[in-house]
Amino acid sequence: MFETIVDVLRRINRLIALIVGAVLALTVLFILADITLRQFGHSFGGSDEVSGYVMAFVASWGLSFALLELAHVRIDLLRLKLAQTGRSILDLIAISATAAVTTVVAWQCWPVLAKSLERGSRANTPLETPLWIPQSIWFSGWVWFATASVLLLICAFGMLAQRQQSQFENAVGTATETEI
Amino acid sequence: QAEELSVVGSWSSLPLYKQYEAPFWTETLPGAEGSDFEVSMTTFDQMGIAGGDVYRMLGDGVFDVGMTVADYTVGDAPELEGLDVPLVATTADDARKMVDAARPMVEDIMKERFNAKLLAIAPYPPQVVFCKDEVSSLDDLKGKKIRGSGRMTTKLLEALGAEGINVAFSEVPGALERGGVDCAVTGAGSGYSAGWWEVSSHLMTLPLGGWDPVVTAMNMDKWESLSDEQKEMLQTQLTEKFEAPAWDAAAGALESDIACLTGNGECAAGEAASMTLVEPTEADTQQARKILEETVLPEWAERAGSDWAKRWNESVGKTVGVQVPL
Amino acid sequence: MIWSVSISLLGLLTLSIPVGIVLFILGFGIDQFFSPFPLIRGLGQVVWSSSNSSTLIAIPFFVLLGEILVRGGVAERTYASLDKWFSWLPGGLVHANIGTATMFSATSGSSVATAATVATVAMPQAEKLGYDPRLFSGAIAAGGTLGILIPPSINLIVYGFLTETSIPQLFLAGLIPGLLMAVAFMAITALICWFKPSLGGSSRSFTWGERVSSLRQLVPIILLFVVVIGSIYAGWATPTESAAVGVFMALLIALANGGVNMEMLRHSALGTVRITAMIMLVIIGAYFLNFTMASAGLGRELTSLLENSGLSPLGTLFLVILLYIILGFFIETLSLMVATIPIVVPIMAGLGYDKVWFGVLMIVLVEMALITPPVGLNLYVVQGSRKSGTLGEVMVGAMPYVLVMLAMVGFLILFPGLALFLPAAL
Ligand code: NA
Ligand code: NA
Repeated sequence: MFETIVDVLRRINRLIALIVGAVLALTVLFILADITLRQFGHSFGGSDEVSGYVMAFVASWGLSFALLELAHVRIDLLRLKLAQTGRSILDLIAISATAAVTTVVAWQCWPVLAKSLERGSRANTPLETPLWIPQSIWFSGWVWFATASVLLLICAFGMLAQRQQSQFENAVGTATETEI
Repeated sequence: QAEELSVVGSWSSLPLYKQYEAPFWTETLPGAEGSDFEVSMTTFDQMGIAGGDVYRMLGDGVFDVGMTVADYTVGDAPELEGLDVPLVATTADDARKMVDAARPMVEDIMKERFNAKLLAIAPYPPQVVFCKDEVSSLDDLKGKKIRGSGRMTTKLLEALGAEGINVAFSEVPGALERGGVDCAVTGAGSGYSAGWWEVSSHLMTLPLGGWDPVVTAMNMDKWESLSDEQKEMLQTQLTEKFEAPAWDAAAGALESDIACLTGNGECAAGEAASMTLVEPTEADTQQARKILEETVLPEWAERAGSDWAKRWNESVGKTVGVQVPL
Repeated sequence: MIWSVSISLLGLLTLSIPVGIVLFILGFGIDQFFSPFPLIRGLGQVVWSSSNSSTLIAIPFFVLLGEILVRGGVAERTYASLDKWFSWLPGGLVHANIGTATMFSATSGSSVATAATVATVAMPQAEKLGYDPRLFSGAIAAGGTLGILIPPSINLIVYGFLTETSIPQLFLAGLIPGLLMAVAFMAITALICWFKPSLGGSSRSFTWGERVSSLRQLVPIILLFVVVIGSIYAGWATPTESAAVGVFMALLIALANGGVNMEMLRHSALGTVRITAMIMLVIIGAYFLNFTMASAGLGRELTSLLENSGLSPLGTLFLVILLYIILGFFIETLSLMVATIPIVVPIMAGLGYDKVWFGVLMIVLVEMALITPPVGLNLYVVQGSRKSGTLGEVMVGAMPYVLVMLAMVGFLILFPGLALFLPAAL
């Protein structure tokens, strides 16, 4: 069952990553269109501002994908010197720390959005973008990252309890082969 | 027992911080007679936080005292735009009167929006206009691409028929040179030291970008935890030893910065450039007021709400002789 | 404070907790033990403003550009061509790594993206041809750092923004030192392999005919350079926007090569998001750590260290260099720059050092930070693209190149004209 959960998480995150990639590509086109228009004395205005929002989107919704692909950097100098039990303990520490920290961060990101909602804050730019729009997209990305981390932590414990060593390493170990 | 204050200053590279904020908080205040304040100071740029986030964090008690350009934070409090309306104050004296008239409003805004106590308002040097081609009046800005900062300035540029363009400070000389922008707004002193005079020829001393006042405020809970003597001492010291000298210097600074840029007069900062000075005419002033009253201020009243606009009319508006039609 | 942070950092990293997560934990620790204020309440705001950045979006753009070049076959051909030119040197293919990294640096503003691009094409060859994995991967990590010295450069953009220095001038200033450093990287590689031939593979030689005819494989990458840099100097695009221009151009080139299909686009998108997310977790964590350290008085410690040192201008310069070398071991480079530039640059400018020159010097120091353990993004990225072996091997392999960078720092001090000649001449 735990293996299935990890598998499903992985598939959802790949789909998310594709969407993130597509949005990046659209932003490239948007900037190019703006550059082209500028040559003729026009401009959409605010391509700078929009790029910032896209970056916030990329830097929150992409995180859980990297987690499931085991791409977040871990220094494995000690880990590789240990026997299997030691490695598993380190892997558990790593995923526990990740789950705890991402939960705290997601929790602390809420007040940012809450303040913008409460004050009706708008970007200090000619576009006057209501900040709750980009911030709720960004915030939900962190919530998803925290959720995925916690689910992964639960699965890791479950797999260990059921002595599914290879599935465990596949889920929370370090990447030996990244194939995407 | 010492009262510890954690203070966050404004841009660490600018004279306001170096000459007034840092010396006041780290030397003057702790060293004042009978002072029990101990200060640890940093700036928002050194902390890697956005200037517009300073009051959000101040309200949360992340530090005790915060300083930032009021214009940066109008995303959270559009009514604060009323503190720095462009073009209505052409001299440091007028600007000071404008700020004094706005003070009770700012006091309330800081309290209601940011859970903070207003302590002081100090000016950045007035924002002037560098143009690469000849300009002689406000009308000449029509159709030009202008780098401005601040929402109200951009709106004003649009109302003048110019196009407001967002360019980072360091990219302005290149943009002027290659025609990315025709004119750019910044403080006269910053423009001189960054060499903008090398790529532009005309200097308009109209404060198109306002005065960018920097508001100093304290977290309200911290303020209320202070004794009456402490409050009194802090406020007096700030007003007399920080706010007043900063304002006094602003008037002289503009004069010497313009001398440096145009070559008319004494330039203490180095070799003077030879830009052509374009001073505002009576017609310019009239036109500026007209545009403010017809377009820019009514739009602001919509953003901020008519209660604030009314209050502005009765205070700042009266002082500078401009009214928001309601 | 700096010492307790460094020791905790080492401890937590050894436990193999993800680097980005470790930086957050250290930030919580400083909040807890070194600050009377609830700094954690600023966490959300710091995460938001460090991610909501129209400058940093150049990172995913440059990564995407690299992915398209790799998966569209352009990178492989560039590599093969440079192989023909440089493999006769002692060290063989290692020189092609450096050469390819240099060429990509001229189209990419990100060291990490450059290293990732070169690693993806080069790494399979190392295993096939029996190279020492240490030197081979170290050369990629080090060569990749040129990405921020040879224009375009995200880090120079950040420096220009924070110090109000002209970015096009900074770009010009980085060019000669960048190329010189590439040559020096090759020189030390040849030297090492000359003394210890077992570290390099067999040297191979090609005929001049083969070499010359391979030159046309370099046309796409040169074209890309001309378009990216040209768009900045022609005033069409801002330095950040030029990254988007580069992505589009790379796609056109890959299309012309017949290397574009749905599968390739899918892989490029996934690769870009994976690498960007990996980098951004570290950067966001570093911003938060920097925020807590600044609140707890890091700035004061630095300022008083520099101002009360009683040293001559040259002495202060050496102190600053030493400081960056030490901080560079532990701190991620972008946040290192954000934390120190507002303190260090005004002091150095006050002592009479040119801001453009100092920017280039700082970039060389920051490049060093990218390949010194324990926190070195380029080391991580190269290791991430390997199929076997440890991070330690990459660290060891990068060491000789750290020495080259130190030498480069010396050269810049002795001959400031290396950086200042081009900006003054053009
Ligand atoms: Na580059
Ligand atoms: Na390092």
